[in-house]
Amino acid sequence: MPKVRVATAWFSGCSGCHMSFLDLDERLLEFAGKAELVYSPIVDIKEFPDSVDVTLIEGAVGTSEHLHLLAEIRRKTRLLVAFGDCAVTGNVPSLRNPIPRGEVLHAVYGDGSIPGLEEGEVPQLLPQALPLHAVVRVDHFLPGCPPPPDRIWKFLRQLLAGKEPELAPQDLRFG
Amino acid sequence: MIALRIDDIPVQAEPGQTILDAAKAAGIRIPTLCHLPGLSPVGACRLCLVEIRNWNGKLVPACATPVQEGLDVVANSDRLRELRRTILELLFAERNHICAFCVANGHCELQDLAAELGMDHVRFPYRFPPLPLDASHAKFGIDHNRCILCGRCVRACSEVEGAMTWGFAGRGIFTLVAADLGDPWGDSKTCTGCGKCVQACPTGALFEKGRATGEQEKRPAIVAALTERRPRAQG
Amino acid sequence: MKEIKVPVTRIEGHGLITLRLDRGGKVAAAKFHVTEVRGFERFCQGRTVWEMPGVTARICGICPASHLLCSAKAGDAILAVRPPRPAEVLRRLMNLGQFIQSHALSFFHLSSPDLLLGWDADPTARNVFGLAQAHPQLALDGIRLRAFGQEIIAALGEKRVHPAWAVPGGVRQPLSPEARDRLAAKLPEARRIAQDALALYEARLPEWGEEIETFGNFPSLFMALVAEDGTWEHYAGRIRFVDADRRVVADGLDPARYPEYIGEAVEGWSYLKFPYFQDAGYPEGLYRVGPLSRLNCCDRMGTPLADEALARFRAQADGKAVTSSFHYHYARLIEILAAVEQVARLLEDPEVLSPRVRAEAGINELEGVGVHEAPRGTLFHHYRVDEHGVIQQVNLIVSTGHNNLAMNRTVAQIAAKYLTGRKVNEGLLNRLEGGIRAYDPCLSCSVHAVGRMPLRVVLLGPTGEVLDERTRDA
Repeated sequence: MPKVRVATAWFSGCSGCHMSFLDLDERLLEFAGKAELVYSPIVDIKEFPDSVDVTLIEGAVGTSEHLHLLAEIRRKTRLLVAFGDCAVTGNVPSLRNPIPRGEVLHAVYGDGSIPGLEEGEVPQLLPQALPLHAVVRVDHFLPGCPPPPDRIWKFLRQLLAGKEPELAPQDLRFG
Repeated sequence: MIALRIDDIPVQAEPGQTILDAAKAAGIRIPTLCHLPGLSPVGACRLCLVEIRNWNGKLVPACATPVQEGLDVVANSDRLRELRRTILELLFAERNHICAFCVANGHCELQDLAAELGMDHVRFPYRFPPLPLDASHAKFGIDHNRCILCGRCVRACSEVEGAMTWGFAGRGIFTLVAADLGDPWGDSKTCTGCGKCVQACPTGALFEKGRATGEQEKRPAIVAALTERRPRAQG
Repeated sequence: MKEIKVPVTRIEGHGLITLRLDRGGKVAAAKFHVTEVRGFERFCQGRTVWEMPGVTARICGICPASHLLCSAKAGDAILAVRPPRPAEVLRRLMNLGQFIQSHALSFFHLSSPDLLLGWDADPTARNVFGLAQAHPQLALDGIRLRAFGQEIIAALGEKRVHPAWAVPGGVRQPLSPEARDRLAAKLPEARRIAQDALALYEARLPEWGEEIETFGNFPSLFMALVAEDGTWEHYAGRIRFVDADRRVVADGLDPARYPEYIGEAVEGWSYLKFPYFQDAGYPEGLYRVGPLSRLNCCDRMGTPLADEALARFRAQADGKAVTSSFHYHYARLIEILAAVEQVARLLEDPEVLSPRVRAEAGINELEGVGVHEAPRGTLFHHYRVDEHGVIQQVNLIVSTGHNNLAMNRTVAQIAAKYLTGRKVNEGLLNRLEGGIRAYDPCLSCSVHAVGRMPLRVVLLGPTGEVLDERTRDA
């Protein structure tokens, strides 16, 4: 059986979901036996590859760059998974959403040279940090801040076995 | 006794009981949020909607509908599950409910219901309204971001404590729970500082000061415990 | 410097390097851009000081415990209380768990593929899974050591990532005897792994002469907390600055008064600010923080095995400061060993199981600063509150931020050495990344990404025209 081609990405989030993935500990080796990680912050591939089976995205859509990458990932991925609360709800990054973007940036950087107001050498900060499904179609949602490793493993094992992943109510808890 | 059917199970109920009471006595779970034993029912949140087969499938709130002879009630169905989930999603979309760092994380009725009803995401656009947090009270705080306007605090304050500090101000999605005439809670002339509102609140909207993330456990059962001990006029 | 527009559709990741050439084809300017911000300084306004540990832990999933503890310390200052000693013992324990897991992640999961598989190894295998193929025992050791660090955190806070445990005034719950015994039972393996990794690293050190020479090798200031007696410190202590000769430039500085000696500059081309030592000005006041800096600043580690290792480390520079950022890796491994030794010591502390872990108080000060050493360096949380404990103003200086100037200088140094002609070749790309990776930058803390940022390198001509762009192809 060919290995399942899995990718992970992170947008506006803290990387805690990726850490929770690494908290699979020894199960990571079992994962590596069944899946190939073809794109991820923890591997070295820089371009998002074609025909990926499953992509887990951590984080909300917070910058113009996330928008572009999300469109590309959606195009090249069969199953897109919103991985963790930021991707599912906006979560902590969305705390800035009621506040005008300019006010956020001035509070962080003062009044001088401010990155992010316009497209420049860094991507523009979007007016709001949004959940993935506000932008593209999402196939599965894996909530949690972060999703506990056991929840991730339950989900991934079903996926890797070619099944439609189903989670019990206690595995849908936010926070 | 009144005979009715809930989810095809024959159930006996006392006159004056609600469908919710009868279902609970029969061990049938109907989710609720604005309902709290000891407070008068208001049917505000609509989570406890049930379907009455012999009323042409009409939807009624179980918490506020008295039992009647021969009612054929559907308490759980795919349709109801979808409706209840939609109601929850609307609640989540309306304000800024962020479980991760909430004082009530792990002890929140809204969070529990979302998991129970299989709400894995919210299909409506979030509103992200700018809402204040008021910590001016010496003992308690209110974070309007987490308020679902269930009114349990308002009813606990008026019906149990008798202080009538809390009320609703504004209309529609702009409604806020307000102390006195919209003063900072700490300036309230009527608040007795009893804390029943905090214990009645199903989310982290009302909290005890000094509570950190996940530390605010609620004791909503004290409301019924208090009212049951009270002598009542028979009517 | 002229504004240069990089088409955003062609930026793939969160870190970006631009190199600017002069007319003679030499590198005139090199920039390491950090490409996201989340705005914690603003959106925390209006939250309560008690929620801040829970909120700010979400700055970073790699070192959430560091932010949690630092925020709780800022809260201690606002409550004007000193947490009971058992709380300090337990907070130290959690911070050491954080050091072990984060340093293990940096070395085993992120950096050792470069170091052990080689800079020019197949990119598709140059990761922790490739490491597991080539060096199965080492990869398993890395997983288990990181897990040990995480288990310390979970033993105290119930969760490995984002535990809600430290609070203003102390911690929420004590350590159970069962958890203490469970951790103690795992100490021998953790010590063995830390020693093996250090021995392996020291044996390979002679092979990396060229990298040591160019990966951020320059004299600079170093900043760290040290204990009152000069011992390596991670939780309390005072700020010390040393120079490249390990001469003490400033000592005994009150960490809460950081605005008197640390300035923060902003550049429009990066979301990450540029802290500098004020006496030296900007950008000359470049200083480094983190494992390399802590080892340069302290007089001793304070535990036997780590002190032996420190002596070998110091020998690299004849007792002066070790100035190559490549040696961050070395310092990190020594700190893992020190952390394991200190965990052993704390688990034996007579008060480690004490239930007296929290001081209760109201709002007694309207301003508070929390400072401690996170794995990547000194971390500052600075809050102003109103009389009800509602946050009015927040300033955060995250560990990676302190190293921003140094990372930029490192990029310039590597580019000057490895750039040939007008093309970004694979060798240059790999070394630029390796140079940045030595700092183990936690861009998640400052902003966003972590460890292996998908870097894109853009080479610009004298007038800003794009000469070449390079990312590694799959």
